[in-house]
Amino acid sequence: MATESLELEEEGKIIGGNQHLIVDDDLREMGKKAAWSVSSCKTGNGVSSLRDDNLENYWQSDGAQPHLVNIQFQKKVKLQLVVLYMDFKLDESYTPSKISIRAGDGFHNLKEIKTVELVKPTGWIYLSLSGNDPRETFVNTFMLQIAVLSNHLNGRDTHVRQIKVYGPRPNPIPHQPFQFTSREFITYSTVR
Amino acid sequence: MEALLANYVEKSLKQYMRRNAIFLCERLYAEFPSEVNLQLLARCYLNNNQPHSAYHVLKGMQMAQSRYLFAVACLEMDLFSEAETALLPIEELCAHVTNGAAVQYLLGIIHRDTNRMKSSVEHFRKALSIDPLFWAAYEELCILGEAEEAAVCFGDVAIHYVQEHYLGNASSYLQIANSDQSLDSSQAFGLEDLSLSHLQQMEGNNIRNICLNNHGGPNLTGPVGQITNSCCNSSFFRTPSPVLTQLSDMAPPPLIRNIRFCQNEVSLRSSTQARREFVRENESAQIRGSLFFDSGRRRSARLAAAQRSFNSTQGSENKANNLRASIKLNSGTCYSTVCKGQFQNLEEAFRATSSSLSSSADVKSVQDETVNTQLRSFISNSSKIKSGISDTINLLRILGEGYRHLCEYRCQEALNVYQKLSSKQYNTGWVLSQVGKAYFELVDYLNADYAFSLARQISPYNLEGMDVYSTVLYLMKEDMKLKYLAQELISIDRFAPQAWCAIGNCYSFQKDHETALKSFQRAVQLNSRFPYAHTLSGHENVIIEDYGNAVECYQKALHVDARHYKSWYGLGMIYLRQEKIEFAEHHFRQAYRINPFSSVIMYYLGTTLEALKRSEEALVMMEKAIVTDNKNPLPKYSKANMLVTLGRLNEALEILEELKECYPRESSIYALMGEIYKQHKKYDKSMLHFGIALDLKPSIVDVAKIQAAIGKLILPDEIEDNL
Repeated sequence: MATESLELEEEGKIIGGNQHLIVDDDLREMGKKAAWSVSSCKTGNGVSSLRDDNLENYWQSDGAQPHLVNIQFQKKVKLQLVVLYMDFKLDESYTPSKISIRAGDGFHNLKEIKTVELVKPTGWIYLSLSGNDPRETFVNTFMLQIAVLSNHLNGRDTHVRQIKVYGPRPNPIPHQPFQFTSREFITYSTVR
Repeated sequence: MEALLANYVEKSLKQYMRRNAIFLCERLYAEFPSEVNLQLLARCYLNNNQPHSAYHVLKGMQMAQSRYLFAVACLEMDLFSEAETALLPIEELCAHVTNGAAVQYLLGIIHRDTNRMKSSVEHFRKALSIDPLFWAAYEELCILGEAEEAAVCFGDVAIHYVQEHYLGNASSYLQIANSDQSLDSSQAFGLEDLSLSHLQQMEGNNIRNICLNNHGGPNLTGPVGQITNSCCNSSFFRTPSPVLTQLSDMAPPPLIRNIRFCQNEVSLRSSTQARREFVRENESAQIRGSLFFDSGRRRSARLAAAQRSFNSTQGSENKANNLRASIKLNSGTCYSTVCKGQFQNLEEAFRATSSSLSSSADVKSVQDETVNTQLRSFISNSSKIKSGISDTINLLRILGEGYRHLCEYRCQEALNVYQKLSSKQYNTGWVLSQVGKAYFELVDYLNADYAFSLARQISPYNLEGMDVYSTVLYLMKEDMKLKYLAQELISIDRFAPQAWCAIGNCYSFQKDHETALKSFQRAVQLNSRFPYAHTLSGHENVIIEDYGNAVECYQKALHVDARHYKSWYGLGMIYLRQEKIEFAEHHFRQAYRINPFSSVIMYYLGTTLEALKRSEEALVMMEKAIVTDNKNPLPKYSKANMLVTLGRLNEALEILEELKECYPRESSIYALMGEIYKQHKKYDKSMLHFGIALDLKPSIVDVAKIQAAIGKLILPDEIEDNL
């Protein structure tokens, strides 16, 4: 037990955020293929504001905590990174402070895979889903749920401005066991 | 007055004074409303890129020539059914009065654009049989994949055919010349107009004159307007297809030389004519019609272009040298370009000028003499004519053979054939573009780059094939060169689809796929019958994973050209990714059927077969791919992989060892070897190879895989230790 809580604390404080969204070329955004839904929202600040690449508008929840963002895929996908955009300076008490990420096949068997605590985040927050084991670089799942457990200054509702979900690029050459790295191999692999 | 106006209109047309020509022609028509004048008016409109005006003017006219011009206007406006109805009634009559081969060619184009491929092929074949020098028809046949061997089409039969027609009509001309003796001695002076005029006629619809000759007699005494109408075709000035600009280097009209007036001046005329044509081409910023062109224009443009490309190959030499050289070329070859009624035309031209200028009696004696000298010169020239014709046809045969090989993707043979050309012919934009394309298909990008850049040096204005060049640079990752090329192409012609394809490739290289897609769509807008623009759009859509649109783009490309194997390949890849393996197989097979020499296509077909669990066939296909192109490592790798699945581990190892020697930095080789050693239970070797594979920085997925594999390796070790 003790070790567990220690781990939780270690896992988690992220202070501040990043100005720019910089992601490895190896990863690609998977959100377009998913169905997004939220536990509650205020009219005019719905789930679409989370996906519109516009940092000016935000999703505002309108109910009891925890506030949930559900991301459901049609088939199991490998996910590696979740990136959120929040702004403490603009949102103050609406800014989430504790976030839990859960994964599973559906609402019935979600399991928590990551918890973070945020301290005055302003900008892009990168949450990697990889475990320590090299075998756990990705989370292979049907569904991801991002739960806002509490806000700064004990606010009830929350603002999130943007969410992006990343997974690895598939092998450009289907049905090959490994991807090619050298130039000669890649040259011969496409017809343009 | 009618004759005067008509003549003046003709002159204006030749001098590209289009507005002048249109205005005067409208006055002419108002004053003397005859169908012949109407044809002249239509020609003026077609020249001025107003096909709609020509269309309205000629609607309902029944004269053969009117119907022909009407069909031309309709095709410009993509009105296929009307064009067809204009050409069809009494198609055979058309063949007699106007230009039979051109009519057949137009019908071929119409049928092809309305998806009647078989009849289209027949029309092109007929066009070629009527006129063996009709390169455009042979080219279309090659693109449709239905061309016969060039040796057949441009063989001895063709030579005899052309020679007979040519000489046969020439002798009839002689008789007329003898009997009438109306050759104006103004040939000695006033050459400006004359040479221009008959140059025009010559470069006009030459072939039409073939048929015209049959009615040569009665036409002789017709009014000037009629003669010029029936002789020349309109729209000499239409922007020719880019293909034309690289056509065979046919010498400038040697007929002039035959008739023996001021050779030098005339050749000069032809070269200035050609240069004017060249300048005009550059100025014309019209959206290019795709492959349709009036055959007469083509021929005229071809001749002019020939002169131009000829000139350009000798760019550095001064004009005098050019002329001398061009005269030499005249003597050696291409009298055939003149074809039948050239003499006839000339005759009429002389008459025309003679009727408009007053010829005096003193001149007559001079005329007699000139006629005699001409007869003598003619007879001595007829043997030269024969050799000229056979030379031309031989040239066309080589070019045709090369083109056909390339269209059927026998790239090495195409290259060999093109090597047979003289260096004069080889070092032209068209041929070098073809060579570049051949190397591109052979995945030999260095040589392709070299050939294309040479082509650009020689004819920088020629955009045909430059889209392929931009792809070569893209695949070679030559960023700077690609950008430079795109800039150049756009500055030459903003409306060329090839330029926009190059720009699209630029953006794609910089990973700005949205803009790349927009550029390719722009190219499509400019010319929807340019299949490569569709294919490139498809590729971009695949990169941004918009598979629905990608499928649409590829299908559009195939609709335009069903032999565009890259689109079949693109569709196959999409279906492979979507796990619709049977569809994938079908499409890869189609691509393979069209291009059975591409090791990449074979590789993918093999992969698909393996996915369908048809391992033996897959292995056979991979073997073929390895044999076809030994430099392609992928089939070998894939074969090794398949052998691993079949349990033939040692053979797989052999192959991988070889590959390792050639490509020591390819992570996947080591990864697969690691797998094999694991199965052989040689754990330390396996570990070693996995380690190397990781060092070579594979993708994240593979890192995870390999690390997982290493993890599993350790466990058996531990178990062994414990035992």
